[in-house]
Amino acid sequence: MRLLRQPGFVLSIIVIAVVIVASFAPSLLATHDPYGSVAADRFLPPSTEYLFGTDHLGRDVYSRVVHGTALSLLSAALAVVVGVVIGALIGLFSGFVGGRIDFVIMRFVDVLIAVPGVLLALIVVASLGFGPFSLALGVGLGAAGSFARVMRSQVLHIRNEEYVEAARTLGVRGPAILMNHVLPNAARPVIAMAALELGTAILAVSALTFLGFGAPPPAPEWGALVAAGRNFVSTNPTLSILPGVVILVVVLAVNRVARTIGGEK
Amino acid sequence: MSKLKPWVGYLLPKLGQFAFVILATYTLVFVLIHFLPGDPLVAALASKGGGDTVIDPAELEALRAQYGLDGNLWEQYFGHLVALVQGDLGTSIATGVPVIDMVARAFPHSLEIASLALLFGVVSAVIITFLAFAAPWPWLRQLLLQIPPFGIAMPAFLSGLLLISIFAFSLGWLPSAGVRAPGSAILPAITLALPVGAIFFQVFSAAVLEAMNSPYVFTAVAKGVTPRAIFLKHLLRNALLPSITILGLLIGYLAGGTAVVETVFSRDGIGRLTVSAVLARDINVIQGVVLLVGATYAAVNLIVDIAYGFIDPRTRLGTAKKTPAPVAEAGAAT
Repeated sequence: MRLLRQPGFVLSIIVIAVVIVASFAPSLLATHDPYGSVAADRFLPPSTEYLFGTDHLGRDVYSRVVHGTALSLLSAALAVVVGVVIGALIGLFSGFVGGRIDFVIMRFVDVLIAVPGVLLALIVVASLGFGPFSLALGVGLGAAGSFARVMRSQVLHIRNEEYVEAARTLGVRGPAILMNHVLPNAARPVIAMAALELGTAILAVSALTFLGFGAPPPAPEWGALVAAGRNFVSTNPTLSILPGVVILVVVLAVNRVARTIGGEK
Repeated sequence: MSKLKPWVGYLLPKLGQFAFVILATYTLVFVLIHFLPGDPLVAALASKGGGDTVIDPAELEALRAQYGLDGNLWEQYFGHLVALVQGDLGTSIATGVPVIDMVARAFPHSLEIASLALLFGVVSAVIITFLAFAAPWPWLRQLLLQIPPFGIAMPAFLSGLLLISIFAFSLGWLPSAGVRAPGSAILPAITLALPVGAIFFQVFSAAVLEAMNSPYVFTAVAKGVTPRAIFLKHLLRNALLPSITILGLLIGYLAGGTAVVETVFSRDGIGRLTVSAVLARDINVIQGVVLLVGATYAAVNLIVDIAYGFIDPRTRLGTAKKTPAPVAEAGAAT
């Protein structure tokens, strides 16, 4: 395994492993109750007792980050699923049908790609209301355009392959060809792209929770933690900056692994 | 006349594309707003009244007419479209002010930081590419090439808060908030420039790498031209040209980025206007902002296309139709 000799890759795998533990068993990593406030311990700087310090209510920020992992990543992962499913369906259909319908659909996909994902997500959030699921739907829709484009180019490539022609000559019907031949062969680039999209989705979801469109207040979503700490940035900068650094490190790790999946050294 | 003919054939489809992007943006927003569950007007009024507001049905109908949310879907779709062509973006549900006025007041502040950010981003991407190209040691090149992936993974609120706590609170060099104080645009522009510069770097450095393999660079190296002169005289020009095709895409990133950046720096502008509109569930304002961004994107693409026709006659005469396309695709895929 040549990959294991690359320190960046190994470090990224370790970060992702820690994140997975924090999502499924946060109490293994957390040192305090994420909601328990100790009035005497407000605004303490980072120490061995409180790794990231304490907030304005005397809660341990590190434990809040750990307990917020599942919620923060759930929206991002759901967003990728939404993007892949909607995008792949559009791309499959458009590429397989071809002709004028394909042309019109793809022009709309161009616009879907052009409108900034954040704005698209904001429309969805404003229509559906706040919360992790509308965030996931909004961010996912923003990503669907790119998936549609990749899926379509795969379909156009594959539909001219000999095995598809052979299946057609044998009398296999369109939907069966799509499911049995085109979809499995088109999946790889789409999966590689989905891995890259996860990093982008984590950033988008944390930006939207930072703006206050996520789960309601006591929930320790990462972006919301940064936003809460922001009010005290002049006196206690670590309150907002340390949770922000956690997001940065996780996104760097996810992107590094995604690039490896995508075939880059 | 014969001189004008290629221009007409070149420009007409581009103008059609310009109009289509705006129409498609409008349609996309309309579909999203009306096909997602929930009544936008009721949500906005509930948000205004603070919780459970009981609204008289007759009053609700009157309000619907006032905000252009009455009639069936087709009437609304075409009614708003006609108004849009006349420059009317509707009325804000939360404030009662015409959306166009709110947008027009906010736009210059966002334009200021967005254009500064574009400048910072593009210039630093070119400088990093040059340094990596001319770096005498491989480790330095590796280090420089690590900066852009870092810029992409950086949450904008983190870079913004870091800049505020260093340059505004610790050093006191620049203001941390607002739009009035001199220099107040610099920190937000740097924050916004980070992802935009990183995306531009990906496309630009790929174009430089491609140009490096071309015969004229080989000849220049063989003649003993210094790396600096090769970069400035040959590579920069040839790589910068295809890179401008992603300018439209960068506008999108800039517009999306202003929501977070203007909130972090407490600046008035398009982004903050959108955030407060979402908080008030004010769908008319959000629609106006998205249309403005779509129109800006389409306009920038149109200008880039026209500029391209001037700079590179091949695109206009149709002898090398596909020249800018691969780069645009590469940019869009990221």
